[in-house]
Amino acid sequence: MSDFRFWHYDGVTAVRRSVLLHPAGAGFVLEEPESGWIGAPTDWSDLTVVGTEGSRSAYGHSAIPGWRMGFSGEASPQIAAHLPRGERYGRWIDRFGFWQAAGAFTLVAALIVWGALEAPGVIAPLVPQSWENRMGDAMVGDFGGRFCHTPAGDAALQALVAQIDPHREARQVALANIPMVNAVTLPGGRIILFDGLLQQAGSPDEVAGVLGHELGHVRHRDTMTGLIRQLGLSVVLGGAGGNVGGYLNGVLAMSYGRDAESAADGVAIDRMGEARVSPAATAAFFERLGGKDDGTEARAMTWLSSHPLSADRRRRFAAAVKPGVPYRPALSQAQWQALRGSCAADPDVAKFWGRGL
Amino acid sequence: MDQERIGGDGFAFEGNWRDYAPIAFTNLLLTIVTLGIYRFWATTRTRRYLWANTRFIDDRLEWTGTGRELFLGFLMVLVLIGIPFLFLQFGAQALVLQGHGGLAAILTLAAFVTIFYMVGLARFRALRYRLSRTWWHGIRGGSDDQGFGYGLSYLWKTAVGSLVLGLMIPWSMMSLWNERWNKMSFGPHMFQSAGNDGPTFRRFLLFYLFPIAAVVLGVVFAFAAAPMGGLQPGGNAGRLGAMVLVMGLFVLGIYAGLGLIALAFYAKFFREAVAGLSLTGLNFHFHARTKDWFLLFLGDIGLVIGTLGIGAIFLQYRHWKFFVTHMGATGTIYTDELTQSQTKTSRHGEGLLDALDVGAF
Repeated sequence: MSDFRFWHYDGVTAVRRSVLLHPAGAGFVLEEPESGWIGAPTDWSDLTVVGTEGSRSAYGHSAIPGWRMGFSGEASPQIAAHLPRGERYGRWIDRFGFWQAAGAFTLVAALIVWGALEAPGVIAPLVPQSWENRMGDAMVGDFGGRFCHTPAGDAALQALVAQIDPHREARQVALANIPMVNAVTLPGGRIILFDGLLQQAGSPDEVAGVLGHELGHVRHRDTMTGLIRQLGLSVVLGGAGGNVGGYLNGVLAMSYGRDAESAADGVAIDRMGEARVSPAATAAFFERLGGKDDGTEARAMTWLSSHPLSADRRRRFAAAVKPGVPYRPALSQAQWQALRGSCAADPDVAKFWGRGL
Repeated sequence: MDQERIGGDGFAFEGNWRDYAPIAFTNLLLTIVTLGIYRFWATTRTRRYLWANTRFIDDRLEWTGTGRELFLGFLMVLVLIGIPFLFLQFGAQALVLQGHGGLAAILTLAAFVTIFYMVGLARFRALRYRLSRTWWHGIRGGSDDQGFGYGLSYLWKTAVGSLVLGLMIPWSMMSLWNERWNKMSFGPHMFQSAGNDGPTFRRFLLFYLFPIAAVVLGVVFAFAAAPMGGLQPGGNAGRLGAMVLVMGLFVLGIYAGLGLIALAFYAKFFREAVAGLSLTGLNFHFHARTKDWFLLFLGDIGLVIGTLGIGAIFLQYRHWKFFVTHMGATGTIYTDELTQSQTKTSRHGEGLLDALDVGAF
């Protein structure tokens, strides 16, 4: 055999040996002539690749941790034929080739992202309503005692609900003592109007528009879709790691999506038309909330932050006003005052900052 | 031949960014198209290259960690920690909505303490993992300690460190460094860490001196500038503009000053910490001074900004190179006495660390 030298560590001590390789049977024996050291017989099939970096190659032993042999330059063809080949990008990618694998991954990634965005809309209607109700009840309970109740206010709210939601699609419509210009639909078909919204609204018709819109979310089960989407995205984008995933997740999950909002507007216009409440005030309400001097900070606290305003939306409500229809106010003046004063008049209601939050 | 006397620094980096570039770019591409999943294999490829180009005395290091085990570690963390926390988050939200704010606060606090404990645990286990996958002359490092005790130490020492206006922070940092390294070994030898936080304290005091100096300087400057402002031809508007400019520079100066102090402190801290570290006959040193760290970060910023962010893929390379070129060792090592490590190796990687995003060293 040639006098081509390998370096060798036996994995037991750190002593470096300069060895000759003698083929023997299905493998080889290493020998260091200077010291007379001879290693145990090794099969070619026991060799694993440790690394090939530049002209340096290093191999390990599948059963002996730390056992290494290697060389610089080119091994003789007889030996090279027995040496295993190393991984480059990883086993799967090496098998398909870099560009093929990258292409396949791109396709799969696109499918997964598309699935994560679309699937919730498909899955949500399949979740039994009773599950959603129970989950919603567990999450919300009595809202920490923040619901406003006065006999006259409750009656006025019921009157409004009876017009906009005659079939009682929402399980609960309640007024909460929270000074934000907002309204939310929670899982389990619960719509909660915030007192701040009532104070900001100029007429009961505006509240009717918001209520109709939220009713659309209840009907289409958008909150369930949103919850599933948020869960799915956090799993999918969890792989991306770091803040990028978090930001993307937040942006994607923040609103129900344009289509859902547009559909909810459709429901609102539909319900208002049936109840003969004019959509004109809602259009004006959008304009008032969205426009003018209040900065983005103020807007972040309003209904518009989760329901982005577009000129199209406002125009759609404005265009829904049909001439010749005998519109009537959603509530009488007395009812409207009772509803607006409900939170201030309720002595038992928890204050927004009073507990917990 | 069984004895190696160390001349020079002991450590050298022999890599080259042009050789590393193909690894970095393919890693970036594959990480993007796999929605981030490939990053475990990317990390492994990067480390293989960096370790294989790091020479210690007469031979190079070797990284034997795999992407698969990092991925497994990540999945473990996702199941063991991620899912409970997801429930906790929803639970706390529900409790707040139902008016049980106190209970929610207690739950949240418990979660915070748990996370804090996990960060300590993660640091320990990441160091253990990295040593157990680092080979030199066919010998690896490791630790037989699971790190649970270290997690507790991390909790209470960090808490104590923040007492007395944070004056105990250098002590807490150094004592944790020592505790971590004293549990580590390479081959049959335990590391010995006796880093001393005393010499770092003077620089640490600058954190307290600087705000005082800044306020004094600000007041002096304001008094000096007030009469001069009246003489300016621009009148009120010009004076206001100048004031705003000065205030802006002042705030910028405070940030830059605090950053520089942090850098100076950390440079000294790291030198002291490494200087206290030894492994049988080997004593380690770290030579980087504040200026070197400053240039490193300046280079980082320039690289990332100049390449519109793409250069970030070279940061790991730059930091490793910085670490190795400033690392030194003196003393004697007997290779026949450096026998194989008998420590256990876990089959999962640094999932916890990866999830909590803290550094190992």
